[in-house]
Amino acid sequence: MTTSNNSLIQLNNFSYQYPHTANNALKSINLSLKKGSFVGFAGPTGAGKTTLIKSINGIVPHFEGGTFSGEVLLNGKAADTMSTAEIGRSVGTVLDDPEAQIICLDVEQELVFGMENYGVPPAEMEQRMQKALASVGIAHLLGRSTASLSGGQKQRLAIAAALAMLPEVLVLDEPTSELDPLGSEEVFRVLKQLHQEQGMTILVTEQKTDLLARYCDQLVILREGEMVLSGTPREVFQHPDIFELGVALPEVTELARRYYPQAEPPITLDEGVQFCRNVIQTFGG
Amino acid sequence: MNPVIKIDGLSFGYEFGDSVLKDIYLEISPGEMVALVGQNGAGKTTLVKHLIGLLRPPAGKVRVADLDVANTRVSKLSRQVGYVFQNPDHQIFHDTVQAEVAFGLNNLGLPREEVEPRVTAALSDVGLEHLANENPQRLSRGQRQRVALASVLALRTPVIVLDEPTTGQDYQERKQIMALVEQLNKAGHTIVFITHDMSLVAHYASRVVVLCQGQIILDGDTREVFRQTDKLAESLLLPPQVTVLANQLNEPLNTSVSPVILSVDEMQEYLQRVREVKRNGAGD
Amino acid sequence: MARVIEYIYRDSIIHQLNPLSKLAWALGVMVLALTFNDPYYLLALLISVGLVGLTGRVMKDLSGVMKGLSIFALILVLLQVVFYHGAYREAVTLGIAMGLRMMTVVLSFLVFLSTTQYKDIILVLTEKMKLPYDYVFMFMTSLRFVPTFLNEAIQVGYAQQVRGCPIDSGNPWRKMKAYIAVALPLVLISLKKAERLAIAMETRGYGSNNRTYYKEPIISTLDYFVIFLVVVLIIGAIILRCKGLGVLH
Ligand SMILES: Nc1ncnc2c1ncn2[C@@H]1O[C@H](COP(=O)(O)OP(=O)(O)OP(=O)(O)O)[C@@H](O)[C@H]1O
Ligand SMILES: Nc1ncnc2c1ncn2[C@@H]1O[C@H](COP(=O)(O)OP(=O)(O)OP(=O)(O)O)[C@@H](O)[C@H]1O
Ligand SMILES: [Mg+2]
Ligand SMILES: [Mg+2]
Repeated sequence: MTTSNNSLIQLNNFSYQYPHTANNALKSINLSLKKGSFVGFAGPTGAGKTTLIKSINGIVPHFEGGTFSGEVLLNGKAADTMSTAEIGRSVGTVLDDPEAQIICLDVEQELVFGMENYGVPPAEMEQRMQKALASVGIAHLLGRSTASLSGGQKQRLAIAAALAMLPEVLVLDEPTSELDPLGSEEVFRVLKQLHQEQGMTILVTEQKTDLLARYCDQLVILREGEMVLSGTPREVFQHPDIFELGVALPEVTELARRYYPQAEPPITLDEGVQFCRNVIQTFGG
Repeated sequence: MNPVIKIDGLSFGYEFGDSVLKDIYLEISPGEMVALVGQNGAGKTTLVKHLIGLLRPPAGKVRVADLDVANTRVSKLSRQVGYVFQNPDHQIFHDTVQAEVAFGLNNLGLPREEVEPRVTAALSDVGLEHLANENPQRLSRGQRQRVALASVLALRTPVIVLDEPTTGQDYQERKQIMALVEQLNKAGHTIVFITHDMSLVAHYASRVVVLCQGQIILDGDTREVFRQTDKLAESLLLPPQVTVLANQLNEPLNTSVSPVILSVDEMQEYLQRVREVKRNGAGD
Repeated sequence: MARVIEYIYRDSIIHQLNPLSKLAWALGVMVLALTFNDPYYLLALLISVGLVGLTGRVMKDLSGVMKGLSIFALILVLLQVVFYHGAYREAVTLGIAMGLRMMTVVLSFLVFLSTTQYKDIILVLTEKMKLPYDYVFMFMTSLRFVPTFLNEAIQVGYAQQVRGCPIDSGNPWRKMKAYIAVALPLVLISLKKAERLAIAMETRGYGSNNRTYYKEPIISTLDYFVIFLVVVLIIGAIILRCKGLGVLH
């Protein structure tokens, strides 16, 4: 196999099958991501998004078992030869079920768990912790027991715990599934900031495609274990088959496509406003 | 008509915590489809747990289907109220999807030959018929969410309470689920659903209740609620993108109040009318 | 929610004590409880433990467990009476002593665990007592499996009730049937949860070397005083015991 040297994460023909199942959950995935990418993954339930995330942080195949072919390379090194904890040093993870990922009994303990394990100096922890909590809007929950948080608060905590570790790569599996609209926006804003300021590489699965549209550089659509579309959000949203793929377009994009199915559509609100003005001008004048 | 849900000055706080619900009054009539929205931690889950008795209100404060929740057993209430937990894993405990869905039906005492077709129907309603014999623990999170949903919708209770029923679903799946719920609503079931997805609210709810730090700050017809952008902002909520789009466009029509746009269809219509107004204006 | 051997967050002087002195206290209570078998001595000990619990403001939370324990203690007394070959009075006294002893020891450990955070216990056992971190963490995690399992049982109970299963009906036979029906899945779900927890821990570097610690619990004057007191009490108890006080034959 040839590996381009500058890709941080590389999947070569990677297929994976869970134990005791008939079909591959991932089918010949080829993906090459450079340091500093911001990639979104979308697709229907059961498409393989979580499985893909878990192949990158080593949960697949270490914990799940099953069989795979092809390879996953992290910095050129095969992921299946590294332990999950070793991978965790550079790849931070937010799992899809916040409740299943909360380890400790109180919020403070939960935040420092990862930092302690990787030997962050105690003096630095305090500051990182405060910053992570504030960035997901739960600074007021420090001191609470984790069991007493609401669903969305748990999810925010899980994200904060991963952020505090400042990993080189951050993989997030539907991190905003239980968040309110502004909370979701806030999370993506923080991701973008880490991406820009620290060059953090970010991989995120997400059903809110309008967020992906505005924040990601690359959007990948999965379906039945296959990568069916990949490109910039604009390219993907412009694709003729997009509706059949079950991807929700931002409402402004959907509106524009009704007028001009082939043209490059607006993907943000501001672009949408501009678009509507043009529509009114063109037909009204 | 008598309300099917009547909450009469309910306040609540968890042990050793701040107060979470503050003096809630709410009446819901049979056949309504109500969206309960609010930011994380607003108290939505806490409120609906009082409808099924998982949290006990003081006597007389919460009545559902003419039962006082304070002194009715949960298993008895469950014949009137179906409840889908926010986290599907709180609900699922069987080792096949089929058994999970059959569980509630069996508790109703239905004969076996009736349970089976209803399980099959419920599973095909949520698009899981091909996974009937799977172990739910080996499904994806979104698939488990639909198992949980099927296991409650199959019961056809008069009142159905759904705590974030479309979590983790893609666009088409969300539409499929909500169409199913809407169909039940049309058949006379009262629906209360919690969601953070404002487009779903705009499309499917006839009434919206906004909870903010344990208080109901808005309650009314969906369009009227989305008109109150200031109040919504106060509870950190955003209307759907098209609604905001129409507001920002700020193109008045001949009517005195500016319209509240709730869907892409409506937006298209609205643009059409704006153009007509412009054309007529130009022609004058 | 069931709160059995779980840390209970309160602001109290007991919470602020160093885990080491609390551990010393709990072990001291155990020694004292084993030293005497006079019910009056044991009752006094139990009351003192209860007072510590009250100071720690956790007695209300532990009352449920204590109720269960006292029923268990009562059964112990009855068993003694039925099976003891000797004077009736003696049997009752011994039975009561055994029951009190058990309640005292269990309560002291419950107070210890509910006023001390796991991470602090781990810290003390690994840093101060130099036990290997991995074993200590495994031990503490398996301790936590009990509350996890109980919480899971409660959650499944809710899941059953909201779909019409009458486990809340008070009819013991129906209740039993419903519990038995979920016993196996409950174990499987709890195991699955435990596995998910292990995954979450490992993705965040659990088991790496060169770990650091965020906060080290401090040893205050009060701690020295408590440890001193425990030592004095134990020595005192041994002296009393040698003089034959507090022991019935
Ligand atoms: N532990 C498992 N054992 C066996 N099969 C599994 C397991 N986990 C997932 N699967 C199957 O693998 C496929 C891909 O699942 P995956 O969780 O990756 O989907 P997903 O795209 O993340 O879906 P969702 O949006 O619902 O989270 C599904 O068909 C699912 O049923
Ligand atoms: N068991 C508990 N003990 C103490 N406080 C709790 C408990 N459960 C919830 N709370 C608190 O009560 C408030 C309301 O929680 P609730 O779960 O009702 O919120 P919610 O509106 O459903 O939020 P979300 O959208 O995140 O699900 C939150 O601040 C939460 O932290
Ligand atoms: Mg997933
Ligand atoms: Mg909730």
